[in-house]
Amino acid sequence: MLTIALSKGRLAEQAIELLEKAGYDCTAAKEKSRKLILEDEKQGLRFILAKPADVPTYVEYGAADIGVVGKDTLLEEGRQLYEVIDLGFGKCRMCVCGPKELKGKLDTIPNKRVSTKYPNITRAYFEDYKRESVEIIKLHGSIELAPLIGLSDVIVDIVETGRTLFENGLDVLETVAEISARVVVNKVSMKMKASEIKPMIEALKKQVEIMNEEKKEA
Amino acid sequence: MGNNRFYTPDGFSDVLPGICEFKKEAEGKLRTLFGLNGYSEIETPGIEYTDIYMDNEYVPAQNLYKLCDQKGRLITIRYDGTIPASRFAATIYKDEEPPLRLCYIENMYRYEQVGGGKQSEFTQAGVELMGSSGSAADAEVIALAIESALEIGIKDLQISIGQTKLFSGFMEGLKIDKESSDKIRNAINQKDVVTLEKTASDIGLSEEDKETLLMFSESQGTYDVIEAMRGRIKNDTAVAALDNLKEILDILDDYGYLKYVSIDLGLLGSDYYTGVIFKGFTYEVGFPILGGGRYDNVVGTFGRDMEAVGFSLGLSLAIIALMRQGMEPEASKPEVIIGYDIDIEGSRKAAIALKQQMVAEGTRVILDTQGYTQEALEKYADDNGIETCIFIDETKEEA
Repeated sequence: MLTIALSKGRLAEQAIELLEKAGYDCTAAKEKSRKLILEDEKQGLRFILAKPADVPTYVEYGAADIGVVGKDTLLEEGRQLYEVIDLGFGKCRMCVCGPKELKGKLDTIPNKRVSTKYPNITRAYFEDYKRESVEIIKLHGSIELAPLIGLSDVIVDIVETGRTLFENGLDVLETVAEISARVVVNKVSMKMKASEIKPMIEALKKQVEIMNEEKKEA
Repeated sequence: MGNNRFYTPDGFSDVLPGICEFKKEAEGKLRTLFGLNGYSEIETPGIEYTDIYMDNEYVPAQNLYKLCDQKGRLITIRYDGTIPASRFAATIYKDEEPPLRLCYIENMYRYEQVGGGKQSEFTQAGVELMGSSGSAADAEVIALAIESALEIGIKDLQISIGQTKLFSGFMEGLKIDKESSDKIRNAINQKDVVTLEKTASDIGLSEEDKETLLMFSESQGTYDVIEAMRGRIKNDTAVAALDNLKEILDILDDYGYLKYVSIDLGLLGSDYYTGVIFKGFTYEVGFPILGGGRYDNVVGTFGRDMEAVGFSLGLSLAIIALMRQGMEPEASKPEVIIGYDIDIEGSRKAAIALKQQMVAEGTRVILDTQGYTQEALEKYADDNGIETCIFIDETKEEA
């Protein structure tokens, strides 16, 4: 029995679609219900729908063997996992954003105040990569608000289309990381359940390749 | 008064009678196994100067339980078995002829994220074989690791074996900068093929070298993996590492343990390891239950150059795995309860004599302390599953 942890929402739908293309029947996972565990005994699959930030935890502790989760969450949680496939969907960028006047002048502000949902990524970027001290303010949503009303100088957040930013006079100042959905595997499961996991990884990889080819052609 | 007096700190827990009994028995079995294989048990202090862990930078500082002694020196609660044993071998045992075979069964203390079977306080049983280099020593320790896991009842066991010098030797041959090299190392550690391929392309590696790197990340097998690698590496260090792996497999085959073993070249470990590295896995826990490898530079940091290889089994984690696999440890029950009528002179003495005799014979027996009547005693015995109930209500004249 393989337990697969999916990040609730759009990512879960896309992951299910891909699994189906790879030849796994996901009727159980698509069931519209309030059940948290969706089991398909015949195929030996069990799906759990979890909050994205919790997916790496389920997988690291071995409560789930496999997880599908965004790279942003993986970077933020910093768990010990095997990260085996870049699924190519759920694409976006983790960026430092702020008032567009700051473009190219970010380094002129000392001791920046940075609002973010991702304090670990922010700390790693500024302290380890850029070697500067920052004051991090953890927020839970509508991060764009913070520089507008003076809570912080800049923000670190996910940018998909950038529409919210532009409409509020903000812009991307620096890119921290490219984000997309990843398949992660528990390190023990990779050994102990290799006969089930490896074929799944191979099948998924093949589908991702096909998907990427189609994208190129389009 | 704080509110914390009812609880144990995070990562620390009581061990209940059934589990405790199983654990102590398992410790006994491991102690016997280590002893029969020529390993002498040592006890290192529960607290050491923090310097023993910090001067060699093998241990992350934030994971140590640190205190101050009365003179303001930093001291640390026992973090692992290997580093104190290395200190011991290089100082107290400095004149002892190698090889040294040392073992320990102790509680370790680490500030780590708790969960998935991990605790901050946990018992490890381990051995260190010091002053012996080469595959024979490596294989002896791996074989003992396998036997330890089997001895305590782990049936589904898989040991992954790697060789840190194979990777470092190969990378040396590539002559690339440290940043890219670290990136590749991380990617292999996480089996992150995407980053691996991208980094390899970015620094302009040949197709063949790229394939070799992918083999580090993905290969799993035994002799086939070693042979597949052989034509691809030229670096002397890496070739020697590959020979070492092959010899280890040969010796483990002589032991009859090849079925538990596979080669995982992606096991790279930290700078601490300087040769073979291995981990042991079973079902139902998210972390390896045992691990070890060769650490030739550690004893040297204490002033005596000595190669060494060792392993430790996480006994607490292994027991959690066994329980999740269906084992239900139960505390042994008393077999006999003895009561007596206090009003009859001499009955207590007779009861005590009987108890002492039974204990000497190896029977689990309790003497009633509640003043039960015969009827109450029988009911108590019934309710608690005690097979034999003896009530003494007459004076037995001793012959």
